[in-house]
Formats: sequence, C-alpha cells, structure tokens
Amino acid sequence: MAYTNKLHVIYGDGALGVAGDDFHYIFSYERGGLESMKIKGKEWLYRVPTPTFWRATTDNDRGNGFNIRSAQWVGADLFQKCVNIDLTVGDHHFDELPVAPRTNDFMGDEEADGVVISYTFETLTSPATHATVSYEVQVDGQIKVGVHYTGKDGLPELPVFGLRLIMPTEATGFTYEGLSGETYPDRMAGVTHGTFAIKGLPVAKYLVPQENGMHMATDWVEITRDTTQNNADHDRTPFKLKVAKDDQPINFSCLPYTAEELENATHLEELPLARRTVLVIAGAVRGVGGIDSWGADVEQKYHIAADKDIEFSFIMNAK
Amino acid sequence: MDADIKWLDDPETFRVNQLPAHSDHHYYGNYAEWAAGASRFTQSLDGQWQFKFAQTPQERLHGFYALDQDTTDFDSITVPSEIEMNDYAQNNYINTLIPWEGKIYRRPAYALSADDTQAGSFSTGSDNTVGMYRKTFDLDPALRGKAVRVRFEGVERAMYLWLNGHFIGYAEDSFTPSEFDLTPYIQDEGNVMAVEVFKHSTASWIEDQDMFRFSGIFRSVSLLTQPVTHVEDMTIRPVVADNFKDARFNLSLKLAGERAGSVHIMVKDADGNGLLDQSLPVTTAVDLEDVDFHDVHLWDNHDPYLYQLLVEIRDESGKLLEVVPYRFGFRRIEINDDHVVLLNGKRLIINGVNRHEWDDHRGRAITMADMTKDIATFKENNINAVRTCHYPDQISWYYLCDQNGIYMMAENNLESHATWQKMGAIEPSYNVPGSVPQWKDVVVDRARSNYETFKNHTAILFWSLGNESFAGDNLVAMNQFYKEHDDSRLTHYEGVCHTHDYSKQIPSLDPKGYLPAGGTKDYRDQISDVESWMYLPPKQVEEYLKNNPDKPFMECEYMHDMGNSDGGMGSYIELLDKYPQYFGGFIWDFIDQAIAVKDPISGKEVMRYGGDFDDRHSDYEFSGDGLMFADRTPKPAMQEVRYYYGLHK
Repeated sequence: MAYTNKLHVIYGDGALGVAGDDFHYIFSYERGGLESMKIKGKEWLYRVPTPTFWRATTDNDRGNGFNIRSAQWVGADLFQKCVNIDLTVGDHHFDELPVAPRTNDFMGDEEADGVVISYTFETLTSPATHATVSYEVQVDGQIKVGVHYTGKDGLPELPVFGLRLIMPTEATGFTYEGLSGETYPDRMAGVTHGTFAIKGLPVAKYLVPQENGMHMATDWVEITRDTTQNNADHDRTPFKLKVAKDDQPINFSCLPYTAEELENATHLEELPLARRTVLVIAGAVRGVGGIDSWGADVEQKYHIAADKDIEFSFIMNAK
Repeated sequence: MDADIKWLDDPETFRVNQLPAHSDHHYYGNYAEWAAGASRFTQSLDGQWQFKFAQTPQERLHGFYALDQDTTDFDSITVPSEIEMNDYAQNNYINTLIPWEGKIYRRPAYALSADDTQAGSFSTGSDNTVGMYRKTFDLDPALRGKAVRVRFEGVERAMYLWLNGHFIGYAEDSFTPSEFDLTPYIQDEGNVMAVEVFKHSTASWIEDQDMFRFSGIFRSVSLLTQPVTHVEDMTIRPVVADNFKDARFNLSLKLAGERAGSVHIMVKDADGNGLLDQSLPVTTAVDLEDVDFHDVHLWDNHDPYLYQLLVEIRDESGKLLEVVPYRFGFRRIEINDDHVVLLNGKRLIINGVNRHEWDDHRGRAITMADMTKDIATFKENNINAVRTCHYPDQISWYYLCDQNGIYMMAENNLESHATWQKMGAIEPSYNVPGSVPQWKDVVVDRARSNYETFKNHTAILFWSLGNESFAGDNLVAMNQFYKEHDDSRLTHYEGVCHTHDYSKQIPSLDPKGYLPAGGTKDYRDQISDVESWMYLPPKQVEEYLKNNPDKPFMECEYMHDMGNSDGGMGSYIELLDKYPQYFGGFIWDFIDQAIAVKDPISGKEVMRYGGDFDDRHSDYEFSGDGLMFADRTPKPAMQEVRYYYGLHK
C-alpha cells in the first residue's frame, strides 16, 4: 500500500476494514465489535472485545454475599447482546450501516481522516441497561476507545466495569508504568510509582482462584507476545501492543484467564492450561475489603453503584 | 503406678509424674560447648522411631511397650513429624466446630452437671487414633551414670510414656514441654522408650484451634542430664527505674543437686563490659535482689539490645560444672493513668500478626529455617509484634523474638470455641473451662507452664490467657496466676468481651451479636488488662475510643487476610493518630495453612486446603488467611501492610 496520511477504508458486506501503513483493523457488523486488530502483520484479537461486568468472587465477596446479591452481572458478562452499531467515516455519519447492496456503490479506494464506530450492548440484566463501546481510529493507527455504562435504578452493585480484550496467544510478559504490585481502590497506599516489567502472566496463588492482578492508576501497559495462531507465521520475534491512558489513568489486569474461568476453579491446578492473554481495562473497580471474611462489606466509598453512569477511555495501539 | 487409659476421659488428670515446668535456659559443661551450641548434657532422640498405628484405642497393640514385644511389623516414622502428614491418619481442617461434629455425640465432662463424667468418651472413641512409637537407644557416654530425664517439646494430644517396659508418666498440653525423670529405669545401652500418642482426650475440648488437626510427636525429643549441681530454674527480673535510665536487676536461681561449691553470676553488656560479677555459695536457692545498674541500654523493636547473663556453677575446687548463658533486655511495659500502654515510657503501637506455626510440607513440625525466614519477613515489612496463636510456639522462636525486638503476646494453649459459639450465636450452655471446677486446674497448669517456661524472655510483653474460650471463673484463675507471678507484663484475653454489656461504650453494636441470650456474669473487671476485640470494624473501634475508654484498646485479630483481601487497612491505622488509647493489633494471620501435595492428575506440586482430603466437616479454604502464601512467598497485599506498619514504627 502506498504511503498516505489518510486511513484506507474498506467497505465490506459484513464488516468495515480500516487500514494504514502498518495496521489493519476489521470492525464486524455481525460479531458486534472489533474483530481483527492486525499490527505489523500480527493479530491481537481472539474474539471481539466486550464489556466486562464480573470479577471472580473473592473470599470476602463470598463472605458478605456480594456474589449472590450481584449474581446477574455474571450473565451480563458471559453473554453479549449487541443492539446497535453506529458508524461515522470522516465527516460522514451513516444513518444506516453501509451493507450490501449499498456497498456496491464504493470504488475500493475510499480514504478518510478518521473512523468512529460504536457498538451498543443491552445488558442481560433485569432491568436491562446499556453499555457502549466506541472505537475512534486515527490516521496513525491509534484507536481511542470510549466505554460508557448507562446507570439504571434497580440493578445490584457492580464488581467491575471495563472492556475485556482476549488475545490469541499467551503473552510472554508485560510492562507498565504505574503502581507497584497488585492494587485495588482500597489497597493502593503501599505502592511505589514506576515502570514495572512483569514476566509471563502471573496469577496470584490464592488457594481458591479469585479476582487478582489488578493494577490501578496506570499510564500505559505494553504487552509482549512472540507467537500467533497464524500457521504461516514462522517468526518468533517478540512484538508488542501498547495501551495507554487517554485523559485519565487506566486500571488493568493482564491474566491468562477470564473471570469465569477463575470463578469455576476451586484450585489453581483446575484452571485451564494458559493459552491466551486476557486484558481487562477497567473503568471502575470495586474494593476488596478486609475487615473480616464472613460478612463485613467493602467500605462504602469503594463500591460501584449501578444506578450511575460510568465512562472511561483509553488508547489502543498507542504510539 | 500403671497407665490408665481412662485418664483420657478425665479433665482432672492431665499430668502424671511430669517434672515441674521451669525456665527454658540452656546449660553447658564449659564455654566451648556453648560456643558450639552442643551441650554434653543433652542427647537428641530425634530421627527414626519404630511406629505402629491404630484407628481406635480398642484396636491398638496392648503392651506394645514391652521389651519382648515383637516389632517386626512396625513401620518407621520420623520424629518430629505429624502422623497425618505421614499418611496414616486423615488430614482434617476445621475451624470452630469440633472435629467429631456430626459423627459422635459428646459433651465435655462435668459441663452440664457435676456428676456427668462422660466415662469412655475418649478412651473408647471411634475417632481416637493412636500412634505407638518405640525408640531403642544407648546413652551417650557423657550421660551415663547420671540422673537422666526426657523432654518432649510438643506432642499432640495426650501421651503415655514407658521406658524399658516401665510406665513413666502421662502428659497433655500439646504445645509446652513435658519432662519426665528416667533415672530409675535408664541403662547405658539398649534402652527402649515407648510413647503412646492419642489424638483425642479431654484436652481436645480446649485445643479446638482453627487449624489442621494433627497428632503425633511433632516437636523434638531429647534426653537431658544435669551436672552434680544444676540450675533447675531461673527467674531474671530486670526492672527499669522511673527515669528510664537506671534499672534494678533481680535474679533467682533454684539449684538442684549437691549443695557445695559456688555460683558465679556475671552480667555483661553487648561490648563485653562487666556490670555484675558476684560469687555466692551454692544453696538450694540463690537470689540477687535489686542490684543497681546505671545508664542501662533499653530494649525495644528498633534497638533490641540484650545483656549477657552468665551463671557458672563451680565445685569446691573451683572446677566449672555448668555454665548457663541467657541474654535479656531491660524494658518496661505499663498502662498509664490515661489508659495508654507505654513501653519504656513511650506509647506502644503494635504492628502485629498472628502466627500459626506452619510449613507446607511439614505441618506444624516447623524448622529453624522456617522461623528465621519469618523473622526476616517481619523485618522487611515493619511487623513488630507477634501473637503466638493459639498456643506456645517452639522455644527457639522466643529467643529469635528477643534478639530481633519482636514484641510477643505469648498465648496459652487454650481454645474451646465449639463449646460456646454455635452457628455464630454466643451459646455457652456447655462451655469449658468456664466456671466448671473440674476444668480449673488443667487451665491454670497451662498458664503455669507457659509462664515458667518463657518467663525470662524480654520480648514477651503480654501473657494471653488463650483464644475464643468465652469466660468464667477459670479464666479469672488464669489471670490471677499471672498477676501473682509476674508484675512485669500485662495480661490479655479477648473472650471476656462476651460477658459485658457495651451499650454505653459501643452503642451501635447489637448485644445479640456478642452476648449470650439470657445474660451472663460480667467478668470484665477480673480478666485482661487491655480491652481486646477481634474484627471490630473501625467505626465501632472509634466509638469505644470516644466513650472514655477505661482500658487501652487493641484488636487481637483484624484485617482478615483470606484470599485477595487487606483492603481498607488505612481506616484502622488512622485511628492510631487520633486516639492514644488505641495501640494497634495483630493481623489475621501470617501464613496460609495449606499442604503441598503432588497432584495425581497433573503430576505437579499443588496446594491443598480443608476438605481436600475428603475430610468432613471442614471449613475448606478458610485455612488460607495469611499475608504469606503457604510456600512462604508474600501475597500481593504485603506491600500495603509494609506501608501502613511503617507509619508508626
């Protein structure tokens, strides 16, 4: 592809391609999100990123019944119902998605200064509410991801609200600039600030696998892999993806497991063999608590109310 | 006297022919032995013993201790170790309920009525596994021809001892040393020692700690002899003067053996400068009273300065018979008129942890390496205090705490949780020890053993009567024992809070949550120098502190560190800045109790917790509340603890 300072936009019949010099993204209309994020020839997504509403129950959550009170968020986390896709290419907002046969009108050389596509999900809760994930692709390949949760009366408190990205293979490690160690809103006093290189994707060895590995107030995280699932890719040179804060620091965890995989295990060795990378960028994180493990709740200011909006943003493929 | 298995059923029989508890001082034949840490007077019996196991008392091998017993079908077991960890008996982790919950109906003897002896309760108990140990040994040459005793440092939970076919004695109290005189039956060579270890006895009711329930000879066994004149017991009592510069030194020695020769007492500072050098004739008791020391170097967490006491026993010709070294510090703990706890005149703040003895491969048969690692972890993370939950620890741990300035709450081996708390409710209808007369001596004996063994350890600031045993006249008697014997430390007991109405002091607490239905006698004025709670939320701690606290306040357990936890610790720590009567607490707890096993599916070494051994009833992962994982790596929360405990160092 010739050098251009604009994005190349490919109007597919079921997806929108957005490409540049060293990146190629596919936004699926069928799958409800960013289906492919190929950077320098390497794929970074296993499935489309989805809003996440659950964390694996901690011992304190179990002790105070939080998991029971908030159980419907498990379903909302596991199953996603995309109810709307909204697309703007350059200055043009599509009132209807450009699908066949309208796609026959394009020429194949479309370019744009930017693309914004957002996916709205209806939560499988009662009552239902919405979460919207919007991707704003810039000409240099950076994607500003905005995530919005619409508060709703009558819903139980949230354990977490974020966006979950699952990568096709296990990372060899990650580096981040932020706070030392594992941190939560009610457990971040003892930290040092700096840049930390983590080898592999360590899972804290709690006897019963549970929520772990959160890193609050992070400026950026860079994930390194050296394998892909592409059978024709024989290169094992490490490659990286940087995710950075937008206007506010981000919270993240980077583990080989989803919340549900952790939830299902009663011992570490029951967890599946590590084969993927699960990156959660969290806009709101519930505290872990600590007074006791048989009833005491997390301190009130570290709860996440479900009746208030939550909004956060970050940069993927940050330069 | 013959052994009687019915002792297992009788709370009034808990020591038979046991030698009186005494101070834990080491003694050597000369200075070279001390330097080498090898006393001519001791012989270790640790190592391989012959072993036979029985599921019940009825199935045990009667007369297994006889010299002519055929032992060809005996196995071999390592002493010290846990029988369960050797896979003879099932591992079981259980917290507050009693291990036979849902399996056997029992009540503690005399708890419901004065004539309810519960005969046969344990001696015929179908859950009462038996370990039969035999050890054949020759006396080391240095021990021959002398009086010889044996010391068991820890045996869970009741043990009978024979030597060369003769019954020697019986002991309970799993966590304090038990010594017996072997002299009448010992021979130079070919001795056969036999120990019968029962998992349960009446002691099980008062050793209902939140832990894996093990049995066996899980601490070291040694033979000891004494020189012809010997320091049998020693009480060092350093008293810091009101100016916190000067001090008075008191020393009381109980001597055994020949009353001839001299006792040479020396005290040196850490640079070797002599502060005291005095010789006295040997009599049965030697006392030094109120020796004035000036400008002493005080001991505390930051500067655990120890002085060296040396006691030499010399015969009439001046020949050295025995040297007893002991390092001690000068420190003073007190409660002032404002109900603030002071150490050396300054406010004391406890940045503490509760610490079970635990090793993921050895259970409670921990090693010196475990202990030194734990001390290093304390130092790295600003942990300045330890509660020996809920039993006395190995003797070496107390020396390490002296040397490293770790404040100790030295707890008795007492917990009777199952007898007074049921499904969360305070229901002491068959509580022991309570005020049941037949349960008094056994618990006072535990207080005595704890005191006599560890009384010289500078690190001990608090004697703790026990854990979660409700309260009653027998707890009062334990408190009194300490008050009568030791004015240099404070007493601690949390359980008494369940007898007092706090509606004025902590108005937001619902009395239903901490008081028994129908009320109870209030023991608050008779038990514990300090107000101690566990897991009281910060807001209610503050209520107590705002309402004219008449006892200093602490949490003997707080910040329950089960799994991913330790959030919100700052709410406790900030109370330290607001209320001088608050003096901190002990995090629950230091290390996960989990057992490393080889997973048959993956072949990897993995951690197992309660219930993983098909053990029921169990409290499952509740065994994992440590700041450390069971393999002694820190949990992520440790950095938070290091920070908050660093704020009031």
